[in-house]
Amino acid sequence: MTCNEFEELGLGAERDASLSDTQRAAAAAHAASCSRCEALRDSWEATRLALRSLAQATGTLAAPTRVEMRLRQQFRTQYHTPRARRMALAAAWGLAAGAVLVGAVSWVRWHNHQQKNIALTPNTLASSQASPDENAGDAQTLVADNELSNFTLLPGVLPAETDGSAILIVRMQRGALGALGLPVNEDRAAEWIQVDLLVGSDGLPQAVRLPE
Amino acid sequence: MLLGRAGKGDEEAFTLLYRRHQAALYRLALRMSGNAWAAEEIVQDVFMTLMRDPKKYDPARGTLGGFLYGVTRNRVLKHLERSPHREVPLEEKNENGTGPGIVLVDATTPAIQAEKRERIEQVWAAVLDLPSEFREAVVLCELEERSYEEAAQMIGCPIGTIRSRLHRGRALLMARLEILRDSPRPCRRRPAWRSEALLLDEGSGK
Repeated sequence: MTCNEFEELGLGAERDASLSDTQRAAAAAHAASCSRCEALRDSWEATRLALRSLAQATGTLAAPTRVEMRLRQQFRTQYHTPRARRMALAAAWGLAAGAVLVGAVSWVRWHNHQQKNIALTPNTLASSQASPDENAGDAQTLVADNELSNFTLLPGVLPAETDGSAILIVRMQRGALGALGLPVNEDRAAEWIQVDLLVGSDGLPQAVRLPE
Repeated sequence: MLLGRAGKGDEEAFTLLYRRHQAALYRLALRMSGNAWAAEEIVQDVFMTLMRDPKKYDPARGTLGGFLYGVTRNRVLKHLERSPHREVPLEEKNENGTGPGIVLVDATTPAIQAEKRERIEQVWAAVLDLPSEFREAVVLCELEERSYEEAAQMIGCPIGTIRSRLHRGRALLMARLEILRDSPRPCRRRPAWRSEALLLDEGSGK
């Protein structure tokens, strides 16, 4: 073994598992016969001891705990914040859906109520006059009973038998009474009132009653 | 397994994973950079990478420790490219301020302790003076006491390259320490080129 080979292979022969026993023996023999390489080996051993001291001195070091704290904080931010956001988003969507549902139900109820009111307006009076049979079953139509008091006969209508007559409760503007031949106070013509109409079997109104 | 749990948001699993690997990675970063702050940042960065994209680790290609070591090594080399010469913060206190960064376990008297500390500082300064590829080989094989095969596998090079780098690294290290031994003042780090120049001045062997 030459000095150059010793420098490359011999100094680390103990740690180099790829060397054969023959190479190790040759390195040891060269160090024993060459004073320079022996001095080099001694120098390296001293350096190696110093390196071991350094390894020992730094062998127990570890990252400060603040690194772990930072990482855990970051971990929470990465994994928990999106989950909380997703939950908040789901809750917001749930609330929005609930609000829409409540609004829809409210609108339907309001719409139904409005339609009932429209059915009781004067416009429906004409339709009820045209086809009284259609409204015969309406909840607002009451079969005439014996309580026919306080009805005022409409102009031009002769008193007749009330059999087959019906009382129709309608909501109308006061001015519409003029169409029935009744006098109307012009100042209150736009006022909405509820009247009872006595409708004959022919479908024509015969008398009217203004509830107090 | 821990990584899988951590990937699903299990903080305890991630913490266990961190505690299992952090010390070795920190020591490697510290021994290579000589800078506690840099080592701290590097370790944090490595685990951030693992946290953000755990799928980067492929179990078929090796152990998680090996993967983390590879990421740490890349970060260290990038750090050394950015700031190749930094002072060794040997006097830095621990996080709680109770002791020095370097722990001397067998120093009996203050005088011996001071002498030993100075010696260690010199060695570390000499190691940090080495070019990064030689330094890496020395750190792995001499400080971490890994076999040549392990070092070659970690660095990703043939064993012959490790042997060659160690040979050069040893020569530079011995030359540097010889100079420091003769110097009456405590060690100061010098640019890496100077060690090589000193070695060349000494001449070759037989």
